[in-house]
Parts: sequence; structure tokens; C-alpha cells
Amino acid sequence: MRPRELKRHGSARASGRGRLREDFIRWVTRRHRADGRRAVIGRDRVYILPTRQGYMLLAILLVMLLGAINYSNNMAFLLTFLVVGIGHNAMWYTHRNLLGLEVTALPVAPVFAGTAPLLRLRLEERSARPREAVLLSADGAASRPAFLEPRAATEVAVALEPRPRGVYRLPRQRLSTRYPLGLLEAWTWLTLEHEILVYPVPAPLDGLALTGEECDGEQTENTGGSDATPDGIREYRPGDPPNRIAWKAVARSGQLFVRDTGSGNAAPLWLDWEGVPAADPETRLSALCHGVLEANAEGQPYGLRLPGSRIGPDTGPDHLARCLRALALFGQPGDPAG
Amino acid sequence: MTAAATTARSRPEVLPGLWLLLAALPVAALPHAWEQPPWVIAVLAAALLWRLIIHTGHRRLPSRWVLVPMVFAAGALTFSHFGTVSGQQAGTALLLVMVALKLLEIRSERDVVVTLFLAYFIVVTTYFFNQSILIAAYSLLSAWLITAALIQVHGGRPLPFRRLARSSALMLVHALPIMLILFLVFPRIPGPIWGSATEETVGQTGLSDRLEPGDIAQLLENEATAMRVRFDGPVPPPSLQYWRAQVMTDFDGRGWRTDRDRPEVPEPAAGAGDIAYTVTLEPTRARYLPVLDFPAALPPQARLRDNLQVVQRRRIDSRIQYTASARLDAPPALPLADGERARALMLPENTGARSRIQAGLWRAMHGEDERAIVNAALELFAGEPFRYTLRPPRLQGDRTDHFLFETQAGYCEHYASAFAVLMRAAGIPARVITGYQGGQWMDTGDYLRLRQADAHAWTEVWLEDAGWVRVDPTAAIAPERIETGLGGLFGDDVDAPAFLRRSGLPWTVEWRLRLSDWHELATFRWESLVLAFDPERQRELFARFGLDATDWRGILTALGVSFGGLGLAAGLIAVARRPGDTRDPAQRALDRVSRRLRRHGLGREPHETAAEYAARVSVARPDLADALEDLVRVYAHLRYAELSAAKRSDYEEQLLRAVREVRPGTAFSAHKKRRGPAPASAPVPR
Repeated sequence: MRPRELKRHGSARASGRGRLREDFIRWVTRRHRADGRRAVIGRDRVYILPTRQGYMLLAILLVMLLGAINYSNNMAFLLTFLVVGIGHNAMWYTHRNLLGLEVTALPVAPVFAGTAPLLRLRLEERSARPREAVLLSADGAASRPAFLEPRAATEVAVALEPRPRGVYRLPRQRLSTRYPLGLLEAWTWLTLEHEILVYPVPAPLDGLALTGEECDGEQTENTGGSDATPDGIREYRPGDPPNRIAWKAVARSGQLFVRDTGSGNAAPLWLDWEGVPAADPETRLSALCHGVLEANAEGQPYGLRLPGSRIGPDTGPDHLARCLRALALFGQPGDPAG
Repeated sequence: MTAAATTARSRPEVLPGLWLLLAALPVAALPHAWEQPPWVIAVLAAALLWRLIIHTGHRRLPSRWVLVPMVFAAGALTFSHFGTVSGQQAGTALLLVMVALKLLEIRSERDVVVTLFLAYFIVVTTYFFNQSILIAAYSLLSAWLITAALIQVHGGRPLPFRRLARSSALMLVHALPIMLILFLVFPRIPGPIWGSATEETVGQTGLSDRLEPGDIAQLLENEATAMRVRFDGPVPPPSLQYWRAQVMTDFDGRGWRTDRDRPEVPEPAAGAGDIAYTVTLEPTRARYLPVLDFPAALPPQARLRDNLQVVQRRRIDSRIQYTASARLDAPPALPLADGERARALMLPENTGARSRIQAGLWRAMHGEDERAIVNAALELFAGEPFRYTLRPPRLQGDRTDHFLFETQAGYCEHYASAFAVLMRAAGIPARVITGYQGGQWMDTGDYLRLRQADAHAWTEVWLEDAGWVRVDPTAAIAPERIETGLGGLFGDDVDAPAFLRRSGLPWTVEWRLRLSDWHELATFRWESLVLAFDPERQRELFARFGLDATDWRGILTALGVSFGGLGLAAGLIAVARRPGDTRDPAQRALDRVSRRLRRHGLGREPHETAAEYAARVSVARPDLADALEDLVRVYAHLRYAELSAAKRSDYEEQLLRAVREVRPGTAFSAHKKRRGPAPASAPVPR
């Protein structure tokens, strides 16, 4: 199965009218080139239709026209046609408010399952025209209106629906505007690419075996700091995480100290799939996720062992990201380990 | 009530565009203050004030329990005041009060928008009462404010007023061509579709169908325009410009009444010396058409009666324009039937006893010489202490005798009436004609403007050898009145209305008069160009382009051609004003190279600097390394070095050369296959 089809969140739930709508949009947009990270909104992909307010004005204009005809009132004709002209030109204004905009997808910060990922697009305007009230919507949610001064850039963000653990493509994005008169809505569908990484929900689990000894020959190379003090406090070195600063010691001495968790002394911690006392794979992943976060907070070197993959013990944000990513991807199609 | 509704009720937020709406609405409704009963305006003002207090004083919106009864009350009030809720006057009043109440229940953006749409409607209803050019200019102001408010509603943030003002004004300007095209091309249907086109909104203006000495003197104070005339050829001398409106044969001792139901006679054949002219006539609420004596060719809707009065079938309730011609010297030769002769000789019993004696005297002196009798009467007016004045003493008892022998001071209708009575008493058939005479030539407008004050009355007498002959007794007593109009007569009279005097006026009055002249000119243009456009003019306009305005194909062709032309013009303007590529030349060059290489799978990624990009490509394509090195060097200079203008253009030339040198060729055309739904730059993790 191609990942593209599977990774569209929510498409499985689309039913009835929703599905029809999806099919229709796919049919309309079939001629669009796939967008990469960046797209420029061209004429061929801006759609425009009257809004309810547009139809309302149309009705009022009809009444005005009938009045003008009935009373042969030339000035009534003039004003009616003036407003008709304004309404007609609104097509152009609204269309123009979207046209030529450069849109770039920004990376989506990974989230834990149950939390809403934030889709962010960067809008950029190269010409001397300001843009008003452009909305981004995705997953049925809409952003606040965005504005662009001439030759400027801005960001629009919309909170997506929370997703289960896994990795996803961005849902289809819709940029729309009703500016200036609200009579018409111009919109475009974008398929900008970025991945959304959803980690398992961290959940503590009693009896999670954190094995420090069992290791298959690969010892950690991490030698502890030589300037470690006996009570587990050493001087601050650039790069030490702020959450390990020993504030009490700092207050006493006026110098920066960090708690030394003795990473060099302690044996690396192994978070092992097999060591989780639960049958449900998601529960296991949640527990492992919790363990990873705990170990990271402690500053202790840790490794992660999953069926078919293994990440050697280490510390630091990159290591954390790698481990969480492995947890997110575990068992997913496209996961090399799965 | 839901929780949301409760909070909306307790403290309404200031919706976007609401303040502008509260400003635009009174502006749009202001012209109605002169036309609508005071309570309507009061309701609107109160609602505006209420809404303001709600926001400034953090009050609550009135609940439905208050609003719904108010809506019914407003409807009932309108009905009780007008006896109806439809039609121009009542419908407008209803619209105004309902919009006022709508103000009190605006809770959402949608409500603001609806109210703004209704504000456009309020502007249109203004025209039921007033179509002057001032109102036209004023409604542009209203439309501009309403449109600005609409923009603010959809702006999504508080926009600076300057931008709102500019955008709104631009929208109006952009809409003007479309307005013009639709105005000219949209098919016009004559007459009302339903109901009556007009209602009695103003009293009778202009000439009445009854003439009693004293009537026209009231009109003299009226400086409103009665009609405007443009001559298509030579202009007749002022002494021959008699605009004939109504013919009055029946005299009841006090006054004269317009003839009714006279038989129609055929329109005289056109002659060589006819004076052709076009009249724009203000609504008279009567059926007569003033025509220059004596009528020749007539507009199609007009009928000529045997007393040479011209009428049309429909009452003139709105401004009309018509073209006609006149034969100045020769009235159509029509016989005088016996019945008619008797009617034109009839004097009620017991009237004009002394006048009859005077007439009998003349008859005895001159015998059958009727011209001599006419001249004797005119000499009487010219000689004795007869005065021509705007403010004659009131007449009592027998009007004619009292005027002729006691007061001896009067205005045109006094003289015309007395003269006709004298003629009848002498046995000469006579009748009174009312109409306009004189007028003011508008310098640059090259047209004649006749005010209500130019109303005039004169007589016609039947001479056996000549038929009906015009005799103007006013010309005998006050020849200036006929030669130079009222201004010539009253130019030095301090009692006369200011607009008739020429000297000794304070500068404020002089300026007012000058302004009113400008206004009059603008009004004439407005009326003859815009307001007079009707199905007939539309047909003429279409015919000029060989199209048929009554055929849908003609209309479609006109629409297609004009909108096609408009679109073409707009497109050309857009192309001419399209800003060039605004990026700097160095950036443009890099983009060009990137585009060229993208076909080979080597496009620049957004995060890559020029140098990084060149390095990456050089690895993949060593053959391009030298060219890219040059490019990057020049690029860096252009972008980051301080350069003199000369140096800069030098580098720009080098840059173009460098770009040309990057020739990836077609050797790697197999790379084209890389272009797929998922480009290499955004891999999906596998």
C-alpha cells in the first residue's frame, strides 16, 4: 500500500456526503501539480463562488432594479448599476487578494497523541500590494485572518485534529479569502508536503523493567566528567541542560553548578519492548515513551530496544527525538522495522 | 435562550464595521428628513442614539420581548399614517423604521452586512423624491461610506481609515464604467409594471387650469424652473417667444377656466421656416405641453386641439423631454363655428357694467373696424394712469370694473382678463391664453431657462379677416416685460425678488444668485443627459449603431460589445501597469539557473545559499563547476558589495554572461523522470 493513501488522516472516517465531497475536490484538483514545500498561487488554481451574503445582495439588487423599472427612475437605475458594478468587480478584488501569494509549509512540531499538531504556513508577498484577511483552513478548522504588508511575510497557523500515534502527511490545506466585500469567496487547495509526527501518549506503567545490566556487548563509551564533585554536583559546562542546574548550590556559591547524575558511573538504561509488562502494543509504547522522557529528564544515558530495531544508549535532544520517532513509527507501514 | 445568546445580549461586542455603519446610516437617510414625516426620522435617530449608548455605556441590547412589539407598532404606525405600507412614500417610511429597529438587534457580522445592504436601498429610495444632481453627488458620499463599512466588516482587523477610504473610493471609480454601460444598454420598459408610477407628493406647481387676477403674481415669487428650451436652429426674437400652455374661453365673471374636451385637429404639415426646439419640462401634474406659438410639428404623444392647445394623454408626473417646432407668424387657419363664436363672446349677466359702456362707446366710434377697437383698448392701457406692478391692490366687487376704473394697477393677468372682457363687450370674440414668456439665457448652456416666475397671460381675438390674432395688453403697458423679460422690468425695483434685480444687491445675495446659476447649468446637463434617458432615447442611441433596442439580439450585441471592450481595456491597463519583476537582478539570475537545472533534478532548495547550491551542483555536474563558480562570485559581489553605479552595471553584464555559461544540455535528460508526485526534496519517511 502506498503510504500516501494510508497516511491521510480522517479519510477513513469520511462517509456519505463527506466522501462525495472528497471525491469532488480530488476531481477538481486532479490537474494541479503536487506541491512540494512551496507553492505560488497561480490563476489556474484559484476558485471563486458567491457567498450567502453575495446572494443576499443579489436579491436586494433585484428589488432595487424592479423599483427603478417600475418608477422609470433613472437615478435608481444608476445606483443599482453602480452597486452591480461594485459586486461584479468584487470578483476581481477577491481573486486578486489570493493570487500570486507564495506559500511555504513550515515544519510541524511533533506532538504526543491526543494533542493537536499545529500546521503552519508561511505566506510571502513579493509585490507592492497588501493582502487582507486570508484564512487557512485544514481538517475543518480555520486560522485567524492573516495580513500581509507589501513585500512582507507572515505565518498562519491552524490547529489540526489530534491524531493517533504515527506519521502523517499534512492534510489538504485551503487558503481562502472573502475580502473586501464578503460577497464572494476565493479559495485554493494546496497539497504542501511535510510530515506530522505523532508520538505515543506517555503513560507511566508500574513494573516497567528498566534493565541496566543486560547488554549485548556494546558498552557505553561515556566516561563521566572528571570534575565531578562527590555530592553529585559539578561545575556548569556550556551545553548542560538548564533543568539540571543545581539552584541551591548556585545560591550558596554564586557560581553555576549542575547536578551531575553520574552518567559516567551509572550503567546505561535500556528501555526494552520485551520488558514492558503489558500485552497491548500501544500500552507498551506509551510506557516506553514515558520511560524515555523520564530518562531524558534525569539526564541518564538510555537506549531503546524494539522488536526489529535498537537505538544505542546516549543522551541529548537528538537522541530523544530519534527514540520518540522510533516509537511513533513502530509498527506503521513504511516503518523499516515494521 | 442559549448560553451564547445570553452573553451576546448581556454585553454586545463592537462588531467590525459597526461604527462605520452607524456613521453611514444617518448619512444615507439624511435626504429623507425633508420628505418623511418627523416621527419616522425621530425613530431612526432614537435607534441610532440607543445603539450608541449600548456601546458607550455598556448597556444591554433590548430583548426580543421588546423588539417584536416595536416591529408591530412601527408597521401599525406607518399604516395609520399613510393608509398603506406599500408605494413610494409609505414603503420608504416602513423601510426606514424597520432599519432603525434592525439597528437594535444587530448581534452578528451578518446583521451588520444586511443592514449595510439595506442602507444601499435607503439611498435608492431617496430618488423617489428627488433626482437632482446634488442628490446624485450626495449619494456617492453615502455609497462610499457604506462600501467602506462593508470592507471593514470583512477586513478581519481594524483597518486604517485611509486605506478604507481609498479602497472604497477606488471601488466606486472602478464600478462607474459598468454602471454606465448597464445604464445605456439595459433594456428599458416604458411605464410602470404595477401600481401607479407616482403619488401626490407635491402640490400643484406651475400654471393652474383656472386664472383669476392675482394668481400669477404668486408664481412670480417662484424662482423654480418650469421648463428649459434648446433651439435647434435660429432663435426667435424675445417678443415672439410666447409659450402657449392653456387656452381659456369660459369666463364666469371672476376668472377664466381652461377649455376642456375640445376636438382634436390634425397636426399642421411641416414648413420651411419652422423653428425647431427641444423642451425639458418639469412635472406639472397636468396634461398640457407648453409649445411655442404657433404649434407646427408636434411630438408623437401630443394631440393638437382646435384651440391650438397641445395636450398629451398621460398626466406629466415626471420630467419629460419633447421636440416640436413652431411657425411664428402664421396660425393654422381654422374656422370659427357658431357655437364657438357664441362661447367666445359670452359674458355673464351683471358683470362689467362700466366695461360694457366703455366697449359700447368704442363700437359706436369705430363701427365695424375691429382693429381700431383693439387699438383703442390698448391705448387705454398705455395712456391712462395704468400701472404695471407686482403688488396690485386687492380687487373687490366686480373684478373687471374695479380694476379698469378704480385700482388701475395690475399684472399681466389683470390686463389680459380685462382686455378680453372689453373685447367681448364690444362684440369681438376673445379668449385668454396662459403660458410662459421671457426667460433667462444661460450663457454657456446656450439654452433658455423659463422659471415659474416667467408665467404670463395674454389674449387672442377673432378678426374676421385674420382669424385668431394674438394681442398682448401687457406689451402696451410694459413693453420691457416682453422685450427683456421680468428682469428688464423690475431690475431696479427694490420690492422685486432678488433674482429679478440686477444691481444694488449685497454680495451674499449676488453670490447666491451666481451659485444658483451654476447649479442651474449643472442641473440642465444632468437632466438632459441622464434623467431624460428613456426608452425613446435608448432606441435612438441603439439606432445610431445600427442596432435595435427592442430586439433581444440587439441588446445582447450591445452588451457583448461594450463589456468585451471594457474587459479588453481593463486587461490592457492591467498589463501596462503590471509591476516588473521586483526581485533584484542577482536573485533573478540565480532563480533562472535553478529553474534550468531543476529539469535535471538539481533545483535550488529554499534553505541553500548560492554558494552551497553551486557546490552541490558542482559535485553532480563537474562540467558546470567553472560556470557556477563565476556565477556565485558575481552574485556575491552584486548582492553584498558596495558598488558604484558603473561597477554595478558592469557586474550585471558579467552576471548575464555567467548565466548563459551554465548550460546543463540534454545529456541528463533521463533525470526528467524524477518529477513525480513526491519530489526528492520532500521524501516521505520509509
